[in-house]
Amino acid sequence: MSEAKIQTGPLVDPHGETRDDCAVIALKNVTREYAGHGSTVRALADATFSIVAGEWVAITGPSGSGKSTLVNLIGCLDRPTAGQLKIDNVDVASMTATELDRFRADKIGFIFQQFHLIPYLSAIENVMLAQYFHSMTDEAEARAALVRVGLGERVSHLPSELSGGEQQRVCIARALINNPPILLADEPTGNLDAANQTIVAELLQDLHRNGHTIVMVTHDPEMAGLAQRRIALSHGKVFCHPVGGPMVTLRR
Amino acid sequence: MAKLSLFGMLRRSLVHRRARSVSALVAMTVSAGVATALLTLYADLDAKLHKEFRSFGANVVITAPAFARLSGDALAKVRETAGADALAAEFAYAVATTDTDTPVVVAGTDFAAVRRLDSWWQVDAWPESAAEDVALLGQRAAQFVGNEHAVALTYAGHSVTLRGVGRIKTGGDEDSRIYMPLAAFTTWTGVGPSVIELQVPGGAASVETTMARLRKALPEMQVQPVRQLVEGESKIVDRTHALMYGAVLLIALTVAVSVLATLSASVLERRRDFALMKALGGSQMQLMGMFLLEALVLALAGVAAGFVVGSAAAWAISEGNFHTATLPHLSVLPLVLLLNVAIAAMAALFPARVLRGLQPAALLKGE
Repeated sequence: MSEAKIQTGPLVDPHGETRDDCAVIALKNVTREYAGHGSTVRALADATFSIVAGEWVAITGPSGSGKSTLVNLIGCLDRPTAGQLKIDNVDVASMTATELDRFRADKIGFIFQQFHLIPYLSAIENVMLAQYFHSMTDEAEARAALVRVGLGERVSHLPSELSGGEQQRVCIARALINNPPILLADEPTGNLDAANQTIVAELLQDLHRNGHTIVMVTHDPEMAGLAQRRIALSHGKVFCHPVGGPMVTLRR
Repeated sequence: MAKLSLFGMLRRSLVHRRARSVSALVAMTVSAGVATALLTLYADLDAKLHKEFRSFGANVVITAPAFARLSGDALAKVRETAGADALAAEFAYAVATTDTDTPVVVAGTDFAAVRRLDSWWQVDAWPESAAEDVALLGQRAAQFVGNEHAVALTYAGHSVTLRGVGRIKTGGDEDSRIYMPLAAFTTWTGVGPSVIELQVPGGAASVETTMARLRKALPEMQVQPVRQLVEGESKIVDRTHALMYGAVLLIALTVAVSVLATLSASVLERRRDFALMKALGGSQMQLMGMFLLEALVLALAGVAAGFVVGSAAAWAISEGNFHTATLPHLSVLPLVLLLNVAIAAMAALFPARVLRGLQPAALLKGE
């Protein structure tokens, strides 16, 4: 068993705040409300924080705390009711649905807990699906992305012929294929056994080392510990987003 | 070499969901098949029904004025005016006395022409055309005759003996008459033909047109339609048309409900796939386009299969009911296509709404 030490040093200014000019994600008093039966539910209230390029941030919190709402907003799957949300210095709150679709394809790579691969498409075709909706398919690039996640020999396999860990790696290859500035991982190891959790964690660390911005929702303290910073949510409010973090030891 | 095209994805998706795809395809095929069969039959309906009605006999009667006879060239004029497809036969009537001293109506006619004109008569044996001393006895008239093989009749003091060769049963006036060859009748009675029965092909409009021409060509004659037959034919044709239209609409609606259920289930069970595509940057238009293309492909495949099945069904129905084959009508194809595409579009409305309201984040989270 070997150990790898990951430096999770902050990309922040000396006063402990992320610099807006470096921020790839910036929320300012972001609120998201949903209309219910005669009442309004405030799923996220006055969230203000920034994430700089190349940073790895873990979002934690109990069920119903507003994590999904925050992920929807950062993933451009939803728009805030109030406040300002800037992704890569563009205010997404004022975008139309069509502009948001285009913007999402360009800026966000999704990694899902349940992988969400199309069952009738092979591994390489699932990766190419992201290219299809982004611009044009390129088989060589898709193959290279699968090689990068260690699936060079499994490109023609259907999801049903792959293990859970392999499916998650296909999902990661798909998230990376269009070179988005932000990787949004929602419980990326939630459905994996210990061995595959380690493989996926290493992949994320590798991506982080290569400069990718990773926003990761997780319940797993060990995974959260890999991040440079933790944003904790409770009852729709951001109550803790410490800057910096300890050196994390990852067991292989 | 991996390729990813819209049609490739669509094909793989349809194959992956075989049961659902086959179910939708069967519904669309049934719709197109029924529409094809009914429209094909509909296209031939008028001709077929008119042909059926021809077997009911004359639809126009031309009579000489009271106590007068038809002119010698009347039949030729009628045939010329009514056209080659019309059937005509002339009749002469007299009341004679049988050997049992019973008065009976005797009619002189051309048996060959009557046989073609009144093919619906039930005759157990038609006389030979060349024979002069033969007679057909109406079912009731036969009771007034002493010997059917030597039918002795007297008219104005002149007697004739005829050989009864068969009986007629129509349920009408014909059952009370004795029919004999026209030439022999005229020689015996000195009475010439006074009535021409005519069968005009086509519907009510065609009959009216022909009657107008006949009135012009034969101004001294009375030209009357056999009202019940002409009106009855017209009503039956109209009602059959309405029935077929109704059947097509009813079946189309039923199939639309079935296709709606299938397409809805198809979208609902793939909500996560569509949500994923949306998360990957697929626009509303792209997703809607993919779904509508799928519905369109199913509709077109249904039309192709349904046209073959429907044409075969129309052929079988036609053969069974009208004893003539109905060939496939390419002219019905655009209508069937339109109907199936309309059904697919109608059935796609609800699933399209589901797609529009898709919440990718919640779906991909498994909520």
